[in-house]
Amino acid sequence: MRYLVGVGNVLAGDDGVGPRVLEQAAAGGLEPDVVTVDLATDALSLVAYLDAGTEALLVVDAARLGLAPGDYRIFTPDEVETRKELGGLTTHEGDVMRVVELARAAGYPIPPLAVMGIEPRDTAMGTPLSADLEARLPAYAAAATERLREL
Amino acid sequence: MTQTRIRVDHVTRVEGHGNIVVNVTDGVVEKCEWQVPEAPRFFESMVRGRHYSEVARITSRICGICSVGHTLASVKATENALGITVSTQSWKLRELLKHAENFDSHVLHINILAAPDLLGAPSVFPLVATHADVVARALRLKRLGHEWGSLIGGRTTHPMSVVPGGMAAVPTAKELQELRAKLVAAVPELEAMLATVAALAPQIPAFDRPTEYVALSNDKDYGLYDGDIQSTLPDGTKERYPVADYRQVTNEFVVPQSTAKYTRHKLDSYAAGALARFNNNYDRLRPEAKQVAEAVGIQPICTNPYMNTVAQAVEIVSDVYESVALIDELVEAGVALEPLVEPARFGTGAGATEVPRGILFHEYAYDADGICQGGDCIIPTNQNHNNIQHDFEKLVPELLAQGKGEQEMALALEMLVRSYDPCISCSTHYLDVGFKRRATESR
Repeated sequence: MRYLVGVGNVLAGDDGVGPRVLEQAAAGGLEPDVVTVDLATDALSLVAYLDAGTEALLVVDAARLGLAPGDYRIFTPDEVETRKELGGLTTHEGDVMRVVELARAAGYPIPPLAVMGIEPRDTAMGTPLSADLEARLPAYAAAATERLREL
Repeated sequence: MTQTRIRVDHVTRVEGHGNIVVNVTDGVVEKCEWQVPEAPRFFESMVRGRHYSEVARITSRICGICSVGHTLASVKATENALGITVSTQSWKLRELLKHAENFDSHVLHINILAAPDLLGAPSVFPLVATHADVVARALRLKRLGHEWGSLIGGRTTHPMSVVPGGMAAVPTAKELQELRAKLVAAVPELEAMLATVAALAPQIPAFDRPTEYVALSNDKDYGLYDGDIQSTLPDGTKERYPVADYRQVTNEFVVPQSTAKYTRHKLDSYAAGALARFNNNYDRLRPEAKQVAEAVGIQPICTNPYMNTVAQAVEIVSDVYESVALIDELVEAGVALEPLVEPARFGTGAGATEVPRGILFHEYAYDADGICQGGDCIIPTNQNHNNIQHDFEKLVPELLAQGKGEQEMALALEMLVRSYDPCISCSTHYLDVGFKRRATESR
């Protein structure tokens, strides 16, 4: 099974771009062995999808990458280091990078995994997705599903 | 002149932002505050003008951990406002979902958020090296909680199946039996986790402050999903109130140090959460859970707030055995998709359920077209802020009398806050990363 995973809060502006990309991808039709998983703000539950039966996993999340708002990168956990200052690990501070790090250290098999990080413009509570990110949802969905296929 | 200054901005391993400020000069406590600086999010405004079928979808987003509870309290309030009584099957499936959330959240809190305090680590990450078995077990149990909630709710966070009038989707009997097998198979893991809790329990700080304990309660079960509001006082006096009268219990008020409202009822403050449920509903706890309570050294009425984490461990056992029984009842009766119950009227209604952090209230008013005219949501963490403040006011002088230094005092106060497992607000979750080398793809 291959998983397209979205992380983020859809009521917090561009923080919710991950789940929105999943909706877009599902609306366009997915290959039979691809399952979309909206983890919302519970990134720690990513561990439920890390096992030998997982062929590949792509996480879509908002990410501060220093790009122009709306631009994105697709990277593997090994290619980056988190800069978030986390006093611990809570689901509210949930950071996919830290979850993968923790799972790997705890002996979980890490399947081929990549993260699509999309630069947010605004993550204020109670705001919708920014117009430029909204317009690019089809492109994000296409890139995400293509990369998932190649993992 | 001797001075003690404690300022902890953004207590870690709690959900959201809270600060601890203590100023002491020559043994005199000048300031001792639990501060909540989070900005209000105005969810009650967001639901205005929305159709009743949309309201729970919005209020579920109040919390990323208790989203099942917010969905259930919201839908129950809407159903009460609309004169809807759901079927026994819907009721039981919702109970099963409620147990999944409680299990999932408690596993997270006990093992990932609270355990580092008792094992002398700053966070869960160093524990991987020293207590790999504890961390791996926690992740396995967390996974079970996620699968359990996903089966019943469609997804664990912000479940989709619970809608006004019933359940929009139901699991098959085969899926329920597979879940049952997983729950039974997890019992040895639970026993191992409880052995860890029992081993660490003696390290839990000795501190007692009798207070009022408020939780849902009924005559049938532990009251996690439904019941009347019950207050238990330190002398054991109990009193029940209808959920519709929740404002008589919560009595919200504002204080300068907190953007979150405080509550109080019969005493200066009251506690909600696992310890409050345990103190209110011990008599209706399953025998398996009572055995665990005895083994880990907790009995009602427990007045040590640090023991909330231990009460959570007891509840985890209750969640598993209650759910096994619910699955057996559902499978025996036969599970089938049912038509949703239609509204019989449009008016005002309140709903309550227990979420991991305590009793949760929602209330809505609907016009004749089913459009929401107003809402009120009172979350358990807000009900606990006042109790935390009063705990601080008793604990700080005790710590000073014990000759504790600033670091020890700060840790004791942080641990106290964490024991309540507060969920101050949902923040955003974007990643913030730097590249070690060029990413494989960029647009």
